[in-house]
Parts: sequence; structure tokens; C-alpha cells
Amino acid sequence: MTAPAIWIGFPLAVAALALLIPNERVNAALGGVAAVLLSAIALFIPFDSALLIGPFSVKIASSFQILGRSLVLDPANGALLAILYGLAALWFFGSEAAGVARRLVPLGLGVLALMVASIAVEPFLFAAIFIEIAALVSIPLITPPGQAPGRGVMRFLIYQTLAMPFILFAGWMLEGVESSPGDLALTLQAATMLGMGFAFLLAVFPLYNWMPMLAEEASPFVVGFLFWCLPTITIIFGLGFLDRYAWLRSSPVMADTLQLTGVLMVVTGGIWTAFQRHLGRIMAYAAVVETGYIILALSVQPASNAIQIIFLSLIPRGLGLAIWALSLTLLSRKADSLRFTSVQGLARALPLASLGVVLANFSAAGFPLLAGFPPRLALWEGLAGDSVLTAFWLSIGVLGLLTGAVRSMAVLVMASEYTEWGWGETWVQRIMLGVGILGLFILGVFPQAVRPLLEGLPLIFNRLGQ
Amino acid sequence: MTTALQSVPAKTDTIAPPMLILITVLLLILPALALVTLRILRPNFRFFWLVALGGSLLAWISAWVWLARLPLIFQLPPWQPEALFFDAPAFLADGISWPFVISLVTLALSVVLTAVVRQDLTDPMPWAGTLLLTGVGVLAVTANNPLTLVLVWAALDLAELLTQLRSVETPEASERVVIAFSTRAAGIGLVIWANVLSVSAGGRLDFLSTPPSAGLYLLIAAGLRLGVLPLHLPYTAESKLRRGMGTAMRLISAASSLVLLARIPPSSIISSLTPFLFILTAFASVYGAWIWLRAPDELAGRPFWVIGLAAMAVASALGGSPLGAAGWGAALILTGGALFQASVQQVWVNRLLLVGAWVISSLPFSLTAGAWQGEASVFLPAWPFLLAAQAMLTAGYVRHALRPGIRDTMDSQPPFARTLYPAGIGLLLLTALVLGFLGWDGALQVGNVIASLSVALLSLGLVWAAPRLPFLNPIRAHWIRPTGTSWLDSAYRGLWSLYRVLGRLGNLISAALEGEGGIMWSLVFLAVLISFMLRGTP
Repeated sequence: MTAPAIWIGFPLAVAALALLIPNERVNAALGGVAAVLLSAIALFIPFDSALLIGPFSVKIASSFQILGRSLVLDPANGALLAILYGLAALWFFGSEAAGVARRLVPLGLGVLALMVASIAVEPFLFAAIFIEIAALVSIPLITPPGQAPGRGVMRFLIYQTLAMPFILFAGWMLEGVESSPGDLALTLQAATMLGMGFAFLLAVFPLYNWMPMLAEEASPFVVGFLFWCLPTITIIFGLGFLDRYAWLRSSPVMADTLQLTGVLMVVTGGIWTAFQRHLGRIMAYAAVVETGYIILALSVQPASNAIQIIFLSLIPRGLGLAIWALSLTLLSRKADSLRFTSVQGLARALPLASLGVVLANFSAAGFPLLAGFPPRLALWEGLAGDSVLTAFWLSIGVLGLLTGAVRSMAVLVMASEYTEWGWGETWVQRIMLGVGILGLFILGVFPQAVRPLLEGLPLIFNRLGQ
Repeated sequence: MTTALQSVPAKTDTIAPPMLILITVLLLILPALALVTLRILRPNFRFFWLVALGGSLLAWISAWVWLARLPLIFQLPPWQPEALFFDAPAFLADGISWPFVISLVTLALSVVLTAVVRQDLTDPMPWAGTLLLTGVGVLAVTANNPLTLVLVWAALDLAELLTQLRSVETPEASERVVIAFSTRAAGIGLVIWANVLSVSAGGRLDFLSTPPSAGLYLLIAAGLRLGVLPLHLPYTAESKLRRGMGTAMRLISAASSLVLLARIPPSSIISSLTPFLFILTAFASVYGAWIWLRAPDELAGRPFWVIGLAAMAVASALGGSPLGAAGWGAALILTGGALFQASVQQVWVNRLLLVGAWVISSLPFSLTAGAWQGEASVFLPAWPFLLAAQAMLTAGYVRHALRPGIRDTMDSQPPFARTLYPAGIGLLLLTALVLGFLGWDGALQVGNVIASLSVALLSLGLVWAAPRLPFLNPIRAHWIRPTGTSWLDSAYRGLWSLYRVLGRLGNLISAALEGEGGIMWSLVFLAVLISFMLRGTP
């Protein structure tokens, strides 16, 4: 048995099976249980060492050969896989409450497996292919059958597709750089190509406009899933480059570029969040800001602290987006759209969903007591040690997110006079949201609760993480 | 002079039973949770009030036990990874925080005791809310570092937000609740920014060694949350929560901010901005005290009472007297609590309330005696205004204490209520008196006698003149506006206009990027950015 077969092959098989199941509840249960199982295996069963289960000896080999290429998930990836599939379980279990299980479970599992393949494949050049396939699989996920794809969907596809040639070219050039490291022109071209590829993949400024467009067109839950899954794994993929190439890691231009890119994403995303009048678009811009945080974190010194901050923000980001997307889905069912004019006063009919929207937004902004606060505080302090100006720009972005949260809250609670409070959510929805919100608070007060999961993650990157 | 700095223990590992802090908090929170559970599972339960009384009484006793063991520190597990986080959430009971703690638990006990004349004893939710908020309030006033403080502030703010939203009806009132919340959240943001500045200066933010660049932000943060800097009314007036839990919520929220004033080292707030802040504070104190003096009743004037006394605390902190700020804080809770709980007319209770005037007089051995003992160079032109404001606050207090007409009479109350109700009021005032003599670093102070005597004489003059001079007569209730002063409204309108202009600009760019030519525009932007970034390369 090999790790790629378990964490790439098995989910793809479950995804294929789920396509044949028409029942929402069964689909959600299948996807959720499969993801929990994969997460548990990653957490508890060691790679590359024999495990005795009664008379049987089981060994999970870390690599798998296919068509002359390798898929490698080494032991250090165990905790990462546990986190990714654990968070995916939240999305899959929540998909029934959101009413999108029949699409999300098969296609979402497929996207996740393909993205995992992108960080496992060697040579890394082929990762671009897996990411492109994942983007293509995402299209039916965000466009329900029988519905024409909107402009946001088209733009998403265009940008993700444009990333592929840049990554492929970069890979080809990097081979040249390895053979002649003194060639500065080639180095610069390779770095530019790589930067362009990641700019499209991570939707950096100004290439993120597909995100708010998509948030207006598609189901908030599936959009939220993509906002979580794609940038998270792409960042891990990108960190691999920094870890692999010393010249890239130590380049002052690269450090400045990352910092400027992160600042631009945080500031522009934050400012646009403050002016939106659509709850879905607010979530989209917040996702942009969160990706900006991660890119900005890469400029924190020492690099080991940067890696720690990035990994510390993985779970809060996933949990926050899941709660946010589920809450928006419930609100969108009750209102014509997620525009402010449509959702005004809905807090009295859907109090928990409204609370979910507001708290997830606050968490993204790094409001104390919520899951996003510890990583944000660490980032702030990390940046302040180097430059108070960068920390100031981060504050501007946070202020924008907070403004968006306060405006959303004001709109949601401004019900007409004498509107009674009620519980519009079902029991399942209440439990899902309640547990999620509780999780936000627990991670906000005790970030060390997930420390056992995060402890080994820096080992994925031999040089960056040390 | 003893300062907050000296009261903090140098070594925390030698301090005995830290669990005392936790015990008091649990004695407040567990009965609150029990009340909520009983309300859901056994709505006809007959002893809700006794559960609330038991919890608050035990918590009150346990808070007195702290005195024998001060200082105490209770530390939560450190945040990890250690490489990223300097501090762990920790709570410290010492000569600064203890007067706040005893004030809060006495207030909680008083709310439960005085409830016998006020409300239906079958609804436990207000008591559960009061006990819960008091528990969180105790955590806030014992916060040992800014990290802990912002965490507890956030908890208090969220709790208050949800409680207020449940208690208002109109959309305008709901909006004001959200605005009040965002103002307090801005205070949290300022503390975090103070932390950022400390780290950028190569240090770390704690209450022992606040760098000068950060101390002022802490002060403004507290002032902002209290409605003093800049002057605004952070609280809504249209809430169903009036006495009881309403009073507790207001005062606990204020106490959680006031404690920060008592923790800021005097050396860290000396800046070129200090005189400017003094002027703003003096203005807030005079404004709050003036409206308080002329308020039609004590509940209508309550927000101004909080602003007035909070401004006094800010002025003390600015003047380099953190103990003075602590004294004002405790006085705000204890005397304010007594006055706002007094809902039933009784001659002895009215006379008892006058003790509060002594407490806020800053005369020797009163709770506020340390008010005008600053270390830093005090901005002298602000002094007359601050003393006048204190006199107006005192005169207003006396006037509201002696205005029996608006209260119900005691005649219709059952016998046990006739005993428990005065006890609830008296307990607050007795605690205020005792704190003048023992229990904390600011006890047994003579203070600035000239200033306090001037205030006392001026207060007496105002009490005498109030019925005789028309301009000192109470104003109508609807003149007390919940949204603040007109100039502040204008400022908000200006900001709102700017916001809309920026919003339109943002939407224009957004429309360009998302429109038909959006991809082209994005690529142009990207090309510009890349060329900009590459300019610095060889």
C-alpha cells in the first residue's frame, strides 16, 4: 500500500462512487466519513514503517510510480494530510445542511485529491497539470447542471489556465538555472515566470476579480470550498519552491516582492471589503486578504517563524470559511440574494447563521477571542520587528475587514420594529454552526490545542522550516 | 508614592493559591449556568433567586478572602509555538485590581439583593446575565497583560452586544448597539497597535514596562471605550435593561476599561500630546458632569455619570496617578451602583446614599483621596475645569439621591424585602467606605487637601444653588440624546460622506476590473507592478 494510493487514489475512487449516489444525506455522510478516515490514517499510521495489526503487517510506502513519474508523500506530509482531509470533512458534513452534497462531495473530493497530487508529483513541473485538471473539475462544481457558466466562472477558468504555461516554463528554466547558477538573466526570467504562475494561481492583486464575481454567481458553500482548498494547497506547493532553491529563498528582490504582493492583497482586499454591499463578495474579498496574510507572512524573519505562522493559520482559515460559507448558504435560501437590501433584518429569523457570518468575518480580521487572532497577532508582531510601516498596512487591511463585518452585522440586525426572534435553522444546521462557532472560540483562546497537529509540519520543508 | 509598578510581584512562582481567582470566577459563572439550565429544564423552579443569592454571596466572601493572600497570579497554559508568542493569558490580583474585584462582586450581590423589590422572582435570566458578566468582569480587571485584557474585553463586548441586541426593538436602536460595539472594538484595536509599537521598538508590551510610544495608545484605548476620548456616548438609551442587569452591564463594562488606566505606568504617558489629551478630558468631564447635574433622573443621566467619572479617572492617569484612576473606577461602580439600584423610596436609604458624596469627594481617607496626587507634570490650565466637573458630579449625585418623588414607596413591599433591599444598597456604600481605609495600595490616603476642600465647598454651593437658579434646573428627558453631541454628529456625517466617496471610487475600479475589459486591465496592472518590482534588480 502506498501513501499516494491512499490519499490520492482512494478519494478519487470515492468521488467516482459518490457521483452515482443521488441522495444528499448519503453523499454527505460518505464524503465526510471518507475524509475523516483519511485524516485519521494520516494522523495515526506512520509512513514507511511496518505496522502490525494482528497477524497482518501493514506498511504505507511513501512513493508511487506512474508512467515514469513519482508521486511522493513522505512521513512529514502526514500532519498536513490530516489537516487537509480533516477540514474537508467539515465541508462534506456541512454540505447536506447547505444542500449541495451531491455536487460538492464527488467533485470536491476530486479537486482535493488532485491538489494533493500537485504537491506530491515529481518532477514538480507536472503539478501544473494536476492544478489545471482540478480547475477544470471545479467548473461543474460551481456551475450547476443546466445552467450557463457566468462571467466569474469563465474568468476563474481563464486565470487558472493561464497559470499553467507560466509554471511549465518556469520549471523548464529552473533546470537551466540549476546547471548554470551564475546566469543572472536566466535566473530573473525563471523567477518572473514562476511569480506570474503563482500570481494567477493565488489570485494576487489585481488577478483576484474572479473571486467576488464567482461569489455572486455560485452557491456560497461551493465557492467557499474553492476559496479554502485552492489557495491553501497552492501555498504549500509554492513553499516547496522556496525550500528547494536557495537563490530564490535568499533573494532580496523575492523577499521585497512577496512583501509588496502581500501588502497589496491585504490592503486592497480589505478596502474593497469595507465598501461591499453583498455578503458573498465580502467573503470573497476576505479570502483574498487571508491569502495576502499568508504571502505577507513569508517575509517574516526568521523563515522558521514565517512557516510557523503560515501553518498556524491553516485551521482557523479553513474553519472560518466553512462556517461563513454555510451561514451564507442558509441566508441565501431565505432571501432573494445576498445583497444588503435583501438580507436586512434576517438575524431575527436566522440568528445562528447571522452570528456565523459575523464571527467568521471577525475571525478573518483577527478579532481577539476568535480563531484568527493568534496567527494574526503573531504576524503583526513578526512584521513589526522588521518594519512598523508594513505592520501599519496590515492594520489597514484588518480595519477594512472589520468595517465589512460591522456593516454586515448592522444590516443583519436592523429588522423592522417588533419582529420576533426565532430559530429558522434546522437542528442539523444549528449543530453544525454551533460546533463550528465553538471551535472558533476554542482556537481563539487555546491555539495550542492544535499544536500536536502543527508540530511536525515545518519538517515538510527541510531548509525553510529549520 | 506607591504605584502600580510596585504592586506587581517580581517573582510569580512564590505566590500562593492562585486558584482563589478561579474560585471566585467559578462561583459567579457556575450559578449563572445553573440558572440558565434550570430555566430551560425546570421553568417552574421556585428557588432561582436563592441560587443567584448563594452564588453571589459566596463569590463576595471569597473575594474578601483574597485580601489575606494578595498578590495572587493565575496563569493559563502558554500559547504555542513559543517562538511566536511572548505572553500567556494570566490574571493578577494585587493592590490595584482587588478594589475593582470587590466592587464588582459587591455590585452583583447588590443587584440580586435589591431585585426583591423590583422584578418578578420567577425570571432568573437577568441574574444569570449579571453573574456571568461579573465573572467575566473579574477576569477583565485582573488581566495581567494586554493580551489577556483584549481577550476579556472581546468576551465582554460580544456578551454585551448580544444582550443589547436582544433587548432593543427598533432598527435605529439596533444600529446604535452595533456602533457602540464598534467603538469599543476600536479600543481593542488601539491596544493591539500599542503592542505592535512596543515590538517594533524592540520590546514587548506589558503593564510593567510600557514604552512611551505605546502608553499613550493604551490611555486613548481606555478613553475611547469609556466615551471620553473623544467625547461620545457609547451606550444606547433605548434598552429594556434599566436597573439591575442594565446597571451591572454599564458599570462592569466601564470597570474593565478603567482598570487599564490604573495599570499604565506614569512614565509611559508623558508626551507632547498629553496637554491636548488633558483638554479633551477636561471637556468630557465638564460636559458629562453638567448633563448629569441637570438630568431629570439618575437613569437618564447614567451614561453621563459614567463619562464624568471616567473622565476623572483618565485625568488622574494623565496626571501620573494610577492609584487615583483606580479609586475613581471603584467609586464609579460602588456609588453609581448604589444610586442606580435605588428604585424604592425609603428615608434611611436616601440618607445612606449621601455616603456616596463623601466617597467621590476625594477628601482625606475617602476612596478617591488619591485622585489629585500626580507624579507627572500636570497640565495646570485643565485643573479648574476638572475640579468644577467633580463638584458638579457630586452635587448631581446629592440631588439624585434626595429626589424621592420618582421612586416607588416601600409600603407595598413584603417584610423580607424591606430588610434585604436596604442591605443591598448599604453593602455597596459600606464597601466604598471600607476601601478608603484598607485593602489596596490607595487606602489611607490624605490626598490633595486643598483640591478636595475646594471641590467640597463648590459642591455644597451647587446643592444650595440648584433649587434657586433656573439654569441649574433639570432638563427634559428627551433633551438627553443617546447619539451624542451635534458637533460629533457633524464629524460622523463628514466621515460618512468621505466613506461614500471612497466607496464610489472603489466601485468604479472594481467595475473596470470585473467588466468586459477586466482581464486586459488586470494584465496591465500586473505588468506595471512587475516592472515596478524589477526596477530594483541588477
